[in-house]
Amino acid sequence: MSDSMLAPISEINPIKSINGRMLQKLIKAGLTWLRTNQQIVNTLNVFPVPDGDTGTNMVLTMQAAYDEIKDSKETNFGKMAHLVAHGALMGARGNSGVILSQLWRGFARALDNLPVLENKDLARALAEARDTAYKGVVRPVEGTILTVAKDIAAEAELISPVTEDFIDLLERVVQAADRSVQNTPALLPILKEAGVVDSGGKGLYFILDGMLRYIKGQALDISIGTVQPLSEMVFLNTLETVEPGQDYEVIVDFRPHNSLDLPVFYGTLEQMGTSIQVGEGDGIYRLHIHVPTPNLYSPIDYTRSIGTVTKVAIENLVDQMENKNQACDETQPIVSPIEPGQIAVVAVCPGAGIARVFASLGVSAVVDGGQSMNPSTQMITRAFENLPTDKIIILPNNKNIILAANAAREVSVKDVAVVPSKSVPQGLAAMMRLIPDGDFKGVVQEMELALDEVQTGEITFATRKVEIDGVQVEEGQIIALLNGKLICSCPNVEEALLSLLSKAHAEQYELITLFYGADILKTEAASIAENIQAHFQDQVVEVQEGCQPHYHFIVAIE
Amino acid sequence: MSDENLQNENIPLGSIKVSPNAISNIAYHATLESYGVVGFTSKNLVNGLAQAIVKDPTYGVDVHYDGKDIDIDLYIIIEYGTRIKSVAHSVSNTVRYHVEKSLGIPINEVNIHVRGLRISNLD
Repeated sequence: MSDSMLAPISEINPIKSINGRMLQKLIKAGLTWLRTNQQIVNTLNVFPVPDGDTGTNMVLTMQAAYDEIKDSKETNFGKMAHLVAHGALMGARGNSGVILSQLWRGFARALDNLPVLENKDLARALAEARDTAYKGVVRPVEGTILTVAKDIAAEAELISPVTEDFIDLLERVVQAADRSVQNTPALLPILKEAGVVDSGGKGLYFILDGMLRYIKGQALDISIGTVQPLSEMVFLNTLETVEPGQDYEVIVDFRPHNSLDLPVFYGTLEQMGTSIQVGEGDGIYRLHIHVPTPNLYSPIDYTRSIGTVTKVAIENLVDQMENKNQACDETQPIVSPIEPGQIAVVAVCPGAGIARVFASLGVSAVVDGGQSMNPSTQMITRAFENLPTDKIIILPNNKNIILAANAAREVSVKDVAVVPSKSVPQGLAAMMRLIPDGDFKGVVQEMELALDEVQTGEITFATRKVEIDGVQVEEGQIIALLNGKLICSCPNVEEALLSLLSKAHAEQYELITLFYGADILKTEAASIAENIQAHFQDQVVEVQEGCQPHYHFIVAIE
Repeated sequence: MSDENLQNENIPLGSIKVSPNAISNIAYHATLESYGVVGFTSKNLVNGLAQAIVKDPTYGVDVHYDGKDIDIDLYIIIEYGTRIKSVAHSVSNTVRYHVEKSLGIPINEVNIHVRGLRISNLD
């Protein structure tokens, strides 16, 4: 957030009193700094419900408070504080948000109609904030945001008689908040067990610290280049993306000989790699960096030159990525936006991979569902009722879902057509004929015709002992179905695929697409595909990640 | 409060039974630690009198078990000046979390009945 309102004002040093306009700027600064550090607060959440949204809740509460005052021309401090309290109350989200709004409420009440705030008033207001917050609960738990509010009120009471400078007092209050936050694990065992400080208290600290940073003219929108306490270092997403030049993750703990010159330290590290994070605790620094292979030992050599290295951990990220690739990629598909008046297609997809394929072909909405997980009519209608068009085509992609799709057509006021695809390959074949700007009836007809141009094979396992069409199947055996009909039971997946393809006369077709399921590894699928390619040399064999449950493979033969 | 026991688990050595009273107790304490709640009220006059006589530790908490689902009803008083919706929401979360954590039994519903506001300060 870069804004003229956040320009430094340190030149008016020292500040003996502040008015409503100044409070407005301080609230914005507190909100901005809290938002910058929102994720840090979120990751601290262990109490009382481990849902990890304290930071978000506090940001939303402060945002509501700021929204209330952002256009106000009020100069009276007390009146502005009342507006803040009102906004915070209306927007209070979650436990921490409610407590925060109570703090603002008490703060505002102490000041009522005060035109400007002086240090003695601040001390009084913080005390009232504390009292109001404590009244809201029968059994106050110490080691939470309440304790931090209590400690800063005590500090303000102590310091306000000896200094008239607002900056001075705010600085002391922020320091007290920091100390109080660091002390929370000593008061609340659950925090100690989790090895974190209290999240709500930390959020309050960021709000106050943001105000101080603003007055000092420090940046509020970037949290890099700073040292965070060790307990707060979280190396999230180290597995998600590995960019070029991030071959290894190196973590070094060291004790510097002299105090660390951070800009120089960061500057040197930036020559070596990326994703730099530095943490500190009890004089030990922890450095986290991603480096390319040639620089593998550089961070260690460098830290050895400036201090004593106590511990080194190295992980091969490329290898981790490869392992991760084995698992099914559950990324949600990105569907194409639809223009008003165009034809939108809703596809029922039994797996994330299949959904992505449909999305790449231009469907506008995806509904999860398939064998043994039929979506309800409501789920289908909900998927398309908000699309900005009246022309909807549903691809059920399973014969058991055609009924629900038809029901969705009945209940919707939109012009809905169901193209009765009985399988994923049929649905995909139909998608190939979609012309979003075409004539609705014509496109539907074309898509229906396309259904029979593809053969569908499915490899799954038998859920019970049965004999159908002369094929004897034991429970748990691998079975192959061609266009819904049981054709054989086989000892393994690969043989099932081969007999399926020969039954389907795949040699007379051009393209064989294999969608491998959630319980098949990528490498496994690739080696099976290679063997199939060897048997069907004139056909193109493609492998796609399907992620569908139950079915080892869904096969399209076209 | 009914006396029937919730059968929790059957294990080869015997069974574990948890009474609704125990659940009420956990819910009661979790509620009192929730921010914004300043007290309980009774569900109705008859209950209120009975509970006042026997000093029930689970005053204002009602646990229903119909053989399948566990529902908890809380009759509470909230501090004036807090956002009632947010307070009720976090009470519900906290109680569910604590009961499920202690018992390992999923809770179907936690219903919050706000029966009054306590006014400590008027703004």
